[in-house]
Amino acid sequence: MIDFSYFFNTFLLFPANFFLFEFSLLLFPKTDILISMKALVSVSKLTAKEPRKIWYKLDLSAIVYPTLQRKDFSSVYRLSVALKEPIRPEILQKAVDMVLPRFPTYKAAIRKGLFWRYLEPNNRPGPFVQPDIMNPCMPMPFKANNRYLLRVYYHECRISLEAHHSLGDGTGAMCLLQTLTAQYLRLLGADIGCGGFVLDIHEKPDPEELEDAYMRYAHAKVRPPRLSEKTYRVRGTREPFYTLNIIDGIMSVSQLQKVAKETYHVTITEYLNAVLLYALLQKQASERSGRLLPVRIAMPVNLRRFFPSKTLRNFITMIYPSVDPRLGDYTFEEIARHVHNYMQFYINEKFLRGDITTNAATQSHPLIRIVPLFLKDLVVRTFYAKVQDKNSSAGLTNMGALKTPEDMAPYLERFDIYMGQPFSSRTNCAIISFQDTLTVNFASSIKEADVEQYFFRRLVQDGIHVKIESNRDLS
Amino acid sequence: MSYCVHCGVELDPSLKKCPLCNTPVLDPHVMPYYEAASPYPTKRGQVEPVKRKDLAILVSILLISCAVTCGFLNLLVFDKNAWSLLVIGLCLLLWIICIPFLIYRKTAPWLAILFDALGIAGYLFIISRLTHSSDWFWLLGLPITGLAAFLLELSMLLGKKLSHSFLSVALYLFTDIALFCIGVELLCRNYIGQELKLVWSAVVLTVCAVFIIALSTTLSIPRLREAARRRLHF
Repeated sequence: MIDFSYFFNTFLLFPANFFLFEFSLLLFPKTDILISMKALVSVSKLTAKEPRKIWYKLDLSAIVYPTLQRKDFSSVYRLSVALKEPIRPEILQKAVDMVLPRFPTYKAAIRKGLFWRYLEPNNRPGPFVQPDIMNPCMPMPFKANNRYLLRVYYHECRISLEAHHSLGDGTGAMCLLQTLTAQYLRLLGADIGCGGFVLDIHEKPDPEELEDAYMRYAHAKVRPPRLSEKTYRVRGTREPFYTLNIIDGIMSVSQLQKVAKETYHVTITEYLNAVLLYALLQKQASERSGRLLPVRIAMPVNLRRFFPSKTLRNFITMIYPSVDPRLGDYTFEEIARHVHNYMQFYINEKFLRGDITTNAATQSHPLIRIVPLFLKDLVVRTFYAKVQDKNSSAGLTNMGALKTPEDMAPYLERFDIYMGQPFSSRTNCAIISFQDTLTVNFASSIKEADVEQYFFRRLVQDGIHVKIESNRDLS
Repeated sequence: MSYCVHCGVELDPSLKKCPLCNTPVLDPHVMPYYEAASPYPTKRGQVEPVKRKDLAILVSILLISCAVTCGFLNLLVFDKNAWSLLVIGLCLLLWIICIPFLIYRKTAPWLAILFDALGIAGYLFIISRLTHSSDWFWLLGLPITGLAAFLLELSMLLGKKLSHSFLSVALYLFTDIALFCIGVELLCRNYIGQELKLVWSAVVLTVCAVFIIALSTTLSIPRLREAARRRLHF
C-alpha cells in the first residue's frame, strides 16, 4: 500500500513549514509561536525515524474541569500527608524532581486544540516546592506556574500536593503524593520499598497508567437517563476572593466503625453520608424558607474497585444519595437505612457501567465532536452552572482507609484531603483515614459553618470523640 | 485540652473560639498569655499573574507593520493622494479598541469607551479631510459618535451608582435606544435641511416607551420585581 502521509510530509508540509518558520524568526524571535513552529517542523522532518511528539487526550471527566475555569475558580483539590519530623524543603525539591518524570500525565501542560483540549509534556523548570499558605486550593491559571497544574507545599511536618482535576482524580494524585513521600524519606536515609500507592520511579510508566479507562469499560447496551432535579442550596455570606475556610474533624476509626456497624448497621461511608444529609436537612429546616427542597449529596465513586485499571487519571463517577423532606420528617435511623439501601442498589458494576456509558456517549457523538471548542465551552459551562451545580446540595468524597508500604507507615502521622473551592456557595466534605485516624475535612467559601456544626454535633451525640482544627479567622 | 460547651467537640489548643458556633474558649487553668501555634500556615497566598503579552505583541506588530508598509507603498508607488492615512487610521483605531482586551486589562470601562469614541471621531475626521467634505463630519459624524458615547457612559454610571440588575440594565438599554434614535433622526434632518420633527424615531420611541413603562412598573413594585426575576432567571 502507498503511504501518502510520507508524501504529504515530505513534499507539501515541510516546505510550507520551513517558510513559515523562517518568516516567524524574523517577526517573533521570542514568542510561543516560534516554539510551536519549531515543533511542527521537527515533526514533519522526523516522521519517518523518530517517534511522534507525545500528547494525551483529556479523559472523559477531565474534559469538563477546564471548561469551568474562572478567574476565581479552578477545579483544584489538595492531598496532604503529615510526617513526624519537620520537612526539609531542599530534599523535598530533589524528591519532586526525581519522582515527577515517572508520572508523565502530571508533568504536563494543558493546551487548546480546535475541538478539544489536550495535555502535552511540560519540560519547563518546576514545579517548585513552596512554603504553605493559609488559603489552599487557590485558582490555578493554566499559563501560570510554568504551565504546571501541580503545586507542592510544605509546612512544619506536612507535605501538601495540589493538583488540577484535569490531570487525574484523588487516587492518581495519592499515588504521586505517596511516591513523593517515599522518595523524600529515602533521600533522608529511610529504606522504603514499593507497592500499593508507591510506584517504582526507575520503572517506565505502564501504558495502562496513562489510559482513559472510561472508554475501555463504557460498553453497556443501554444508556440510563440521568435525572436532575433542583435541590436545596446552602445559603451563606460569601467570603472575600481566594478565601477557603477549612474545618477538620479528627476521630478514631474504630470508634466510628463501632457506632456505624453496631448502632445503625451500615458502613462508615454510609454513616457519614447519612450524617451530612441529616446536617443539610437541619440547616434547611432552620432557614424556615417555607418551600422545602430535596437534599442531595454529590459523591464520587472510585471505579477502579469495579473495573480493574491502573490508570492514574480520572476514573470516577458521581452518585447522588438524597432525602426528600417533602415526603415527611426523617429520623436519623431512617436516613441511614435509606442511604444504605441506595448504595447497595447503585454501587455495583452493572449500574456504574451504564452510567459511564451515558457519559461516554456524549463525548463520542460525531455531531458534538465537530463543534468548535469555544462553543462546547459555552454550552458545558452554562449547563453546569444552571443544571449540574444545582443538582446537589453538597459534595462528599471518601478516599477510604489508606494503605502505605509497611516500612513507610512508621514515618507518617495522618493524611488529609480537601475537595477545594466549591463552584458555588456551599460546603464540600472530604474523608480519609489512615490507621486509626479518620479526618473529615470541610472546605467552604462561605462565612457560616452551620452545616459543619450540625454534622459534628450529630457525631458527638452518637458518642464519637471529635477533635476540631480550623483555619477560620474567628477574631 | 478544651471542649466547646455548645458543640461538645474537642478544640485544637490554638483555637480561641469554637469554629462551629463561635463560642469563646474560657479555660481558667490555661494562662491568658499561653499561645499555641496554629497547625495551619498564616501566610496568605496570591495567584501567580499570567503573562498575556504574546497576543498583544502579535496584534501590535501586525497593525504597525500593516500601517508602515501601506505608508511606504503610498510614498513610493501609488503617491497621487494620501490614501494610506485611511489604513493607518484604521490600524490605530483597531489598536485603541484592543487596549482593554489585550494590552491593559485594568482599563476602566468608561475610559475605554471614551478612547474608542475619540478614536472613531478621529478616524471620521481623517476620512472627511481626505474626501475634502467636512460638513457631514461636523453635523453628523461627530455628534452621533458623541451621543452614542454619552449614552453608554451615562448607562454605565447609572448601573454603577443605582442598580445593575438584569431588569435595570434592560431599562437603561431601551432608554438608550430611544434617545439614540431620536438624536440620529434630528441630526439627519438638520443635515439635509428638513424640518426638525420625529417620524421613524417616534415609532421606535413608542415601542421603547412600552418596555420602559413595563420595566419601571416592575422595578418599583418589589413583589412584581421578585416574580419577574424568578420567572426570567437564566
